[in-house]
Amino acid sequence: MMTVTEKLRLISKESADIIDFIEEIFNNIKRCEPKVNAYISLDSMEIAIERLMNSMDKGKLSGILVAVKDNISTMYMPTTAGSKVLYDYVPPFDATVVERIKKDGGIIIGKTNLDEFAMGSTTELSAFGPTRNPWNLERVAGGSSGGSAAALAYGGCDIALGSDTGGSARLPASYTATYSLKPTYGLVSRYGLIPYANSLEQISPMARSVEDLALLLEIISGWDKKDATTLGLKRIKLTDISPADLKELRICIPLNLIDIAEKEVKREIWRFIKRLETEGSRIDEIDLAWGKEALSAYYTIALAEASSNLSRYDGILYPTENLGKNYRNHVLLARKKFGFEVKRRILLGTFILSEGYKDRYYVMAARLRRLVRENLMKLVTKCLIVLPTSPTLPPRIGEKIKDPITLYALDIYNIIANLAGIPAISFPIGFSSGLPIGAQLMTEPLGERKLIAAGLSIEELTGLRGMVADAC
Amino acid sequence: MHVKIGLEVHVQLTESRTKLFCGCKANYRGMKPNTNVCPVCLGLPGALPVPQKDPLILGIASSIVMNCRLPGKVVFTRKHYFYPDLPKNYQITQYKGYGTPICLGGSLRYLDPDEWEWREVRISRINLEEDPGRSVYEEGGIMRSKYVLIDLNRSGVPLLEIVTEPVLKSAREARRFVEALLLTLEYIGVTNPRLEGAFRADANVSIYGGERVEIKNIGSTLDLEKAINYEILRQEKLIEFGGKVIRETRHWDPIKGVTRPLRHKEEESEYLYMPEPDIPPVPIEPLMKEAMARLKETPWRRFEELSSMGIPREQAWSLIQTRPALELLLMAIPLGGDPILLAKLIAIDLKGELKKAGRNLYHRDNWPSPKTLAQISKLIDVGSINYDYVKLNVIPKLASNPILSLEEILPKGKANPKKLAIIAVNLSRKAVKDYLKGRKRALEYIVGVGVSMALSKGLSIDPREIRNEILKLLKSNKINI
Repeated sequence: MMTVTEKLRLISKESADIIDFIEEIFNNIKRCEPKVNAYISLDSMEIAIERLMNSMDKGKLSGILVAVKDNISTMYMPTTAGSKVLYDYVPPFDATVVERIKKDGGIIIGKTNLDEFAMGSTTELSAFGPTRNPWNLERVAGGSSGGSAAALAYGGCDIALGSDTGGSARLPASYTATYSLKPTYGLVSRYGLIPYANSLEQISPMARSVEDLALLLEIISGWDKKDATTLGLKRIKLTDISPADLKELRICIPLNLIDIAEKEVKREIWRFIKRLETEGSRIDEIDLAWGKEALSAYYTIALAEASSNLSRYDGILYPTENLGKNYRNHVLLARKKFGFEVKRRILLGTFILSEGYKDRYYVMAARLRRLVRENLMKLVTKCLIVLPTSPTLPPRIGEKIKDPITLYALDIYNIIANLAGIPAISFPIGFSSGLPIGAQLMTEPLGERKLIAAGLSIEELTGLRGMVADAC
Repeated sequence: MHVKIGLEVHVQLTESRTKLFCGCKANYRGMKPNTNVCPVCLGLPGALPVPQKDPLILGIASSIVMNCRLPGKVVFTRKHYFYPDLPKNYQITQYKGYGTPICLGGSLRYLDPDEWEWREVRISRINLEEDPGRSVYEEGGIMRSKYVLIDLNRSGVPLLEIVTEPVLKSAREARRFVEALLLTLEYIGVTNPRLEGAFRADANVSIYGGERVEIKNIGSTLDLEKAINYEILRQEKLIEFGGKVIRETRHWDPIKGVTRPLRHKEEESEYLYMPEPDIPPVPIEPLMKEAMARLKETPWRRFEELSSMGIPREQAWSLIQTRPALELLLMAIPLGGDPILLAKLIAIDLKGELKKAGRNLYHRDNWPSPKTLAQISKLIDVGSINYDYVKLNVIPKLASNPILSLEEILPKGKANPKKLAIIAVNLSRKAVKDYLKGRKRALEYIVGVGVSMALSKGLSIDPREIRNEILKLLKSNKINI
């Protein structure tokens, strides 16, 4: 399928009709959506076209159809975070990223499925049912931004927004042969993103090509007065970048971490590294000895923040349903609506923050996080760190859901970038028995241009751009 | 000393332009319920708190005025508890949970008007935090109401939590400290303590080095004194009858005038403190200049200034309590008024009349202009009118209509003292007899009659002149009795 950049080029030369592109996408939706379940809320084609008419020639995304993860606030569509707790909640405001997309003419056609409150790695833990992988309907699409990834993979949108707390955008991208870039912490405003773990997450662009990622990230990036954690810089320029010279790339490979991947994943990542080497990139082996401890630190911090963030869901302001006969009873009934995994994480997070345990867990994790960051900073200024995006192929539906520890372990490669606040790009590198495999590159804070440049040449090397799955 | 009192005073920054983390108003009074709100102070999912400049500057100014050690950066933390009027079910505060408060320790120096002594009370710390919303209970209060109404207009209003060391020794002292604290904060433009709900206090009271009891929910300085006195008495009686004071939290009931224990479960809380991840540490340095600019005036500096002019301390004290009165004095002096005379006129006579008339003393428009006061002072000085006349006639008129000019108030002309003396003597036959019999004091009565005669005709008279004339008459033997 054509990338956004290609479409826009044709439209500007008037050798193609926007309406045809829109129709193509809605045909894909009609065919695949019933089997895949990528969207929670979805507009009709008529509404999309009406929006297009109202926003003609407005900006860089004019006529482009955007899918938005349903934990990002939109004032004209419900924002559920995949939870019964927010079943009928329509925010009275747009997230800053949504505002920026709309201002540039993008048409948001729907809100995509996710694990409840983004807590999960498979999009099976949604109150709206699991999202299936368009490459193989028996497999998960990854998570928690599985809906956005799946919609991209079956051609159900042009570009999409996910959120990445510990790989939540990169992991589903790798399971669906699409692209995602987790930005430097503070490059993109979180205003309007329903928080899971504030200090770790960033809204992340998702696309079928690197240049589309660059286009979307450029539009949503930059300081926002509504988010005190955004960095004080304007939009980052990303659409003028030429592919990097592979001969100049310096790649670091953490051997100890690659070792724990499944054999299919290992085979593909080594094949990919060898190809880079053949192209003349310099490959250095490194050891990230703290990898497993980092996973523990990540979950400790994430769950502590999550339990705090989720305390506001007491059924008083939203939804407006009348539940209990008194305050205590009402709050208990409202909070019973959380799914099992969310309850587990609230309980764990509460434990972590409790008097007597806080120092042993929360404070220790924060210290570990600092060490990880310091250690990484020395590396990422010298080389791009390469890792698989997931240690496994996309699991079967229901396969991992029962065992939280193996489920959490899916994130091991991804949480590194979130703990350190550094950017990481995930891209497809191949397939194994028809299932996509992805890899990622990490670099120094605000090194997004480097990642895009490297991504562009890798995309050329693999030829895996603009792919659309055919299982539905 | 066997009584130890420590205070936790919550003062709203009512004079801040905004709430602590959003652009809504800090002074919500008079607004319809739930109209002073936005996604941030409603705690809607995805809305983010952004520290606002104005409350931070006021917080820093408060710290500086209390001689505090300031941190390099202020770190906000979350304090979790479920309550209907706390929309996020956590409060953004500082101090605990690896936070850094806006004051790391300082002291307030103030004058205690009971003993006319300067005191210094040590401050352990000051936090800047957000106020929750308001729960309004209908039908019989918190225990019996069938429902509660939530008003979030107050949610997110900036609040200073000022914590003292347990160095206060009596209820009276505690009250005087809080009065001084509020006056100081009023002077630097932080709060208006007369607004409903502008401050609340909790008091920790222990006697004979025993366990401390915390009293919550004290809403006025008068109640603070009452509550602490009640608590001291309660603890003394308890010990007297062989009981033991336990460490507990009690609630002040201002209507019944007693403290009562809170139910146990309300008392024990696990607040799960953690650093607020949505707010990076806020550096203080860039805000210092603006905070310093707030500190030009403190009541204590003013008091010393007034004292050095020779104004009696009671009057100086009265003046600094009411800023419009103080400003009136300070503006009238450069216009040629005499400080000591003006202080007496303003602090005693004018303030008294305004109070008697039920006027709001804190409203500048209820006070006459500095020009009028300066004129009066000058007229008294040169002897054109006398002080008693001003006190009895001019001040009451100015109090009821402060924009009156002096020309409109003062008598049209001067009475003839000779004529007046004759009338006065004729109207005071008994007094004249008494005087002639040797009762010298009767003279004052005759003079009084003459003066009031003149005033009733709208004429001015110097009592000394009429006195002389009357004396002449009495000595001249021209009087027929």
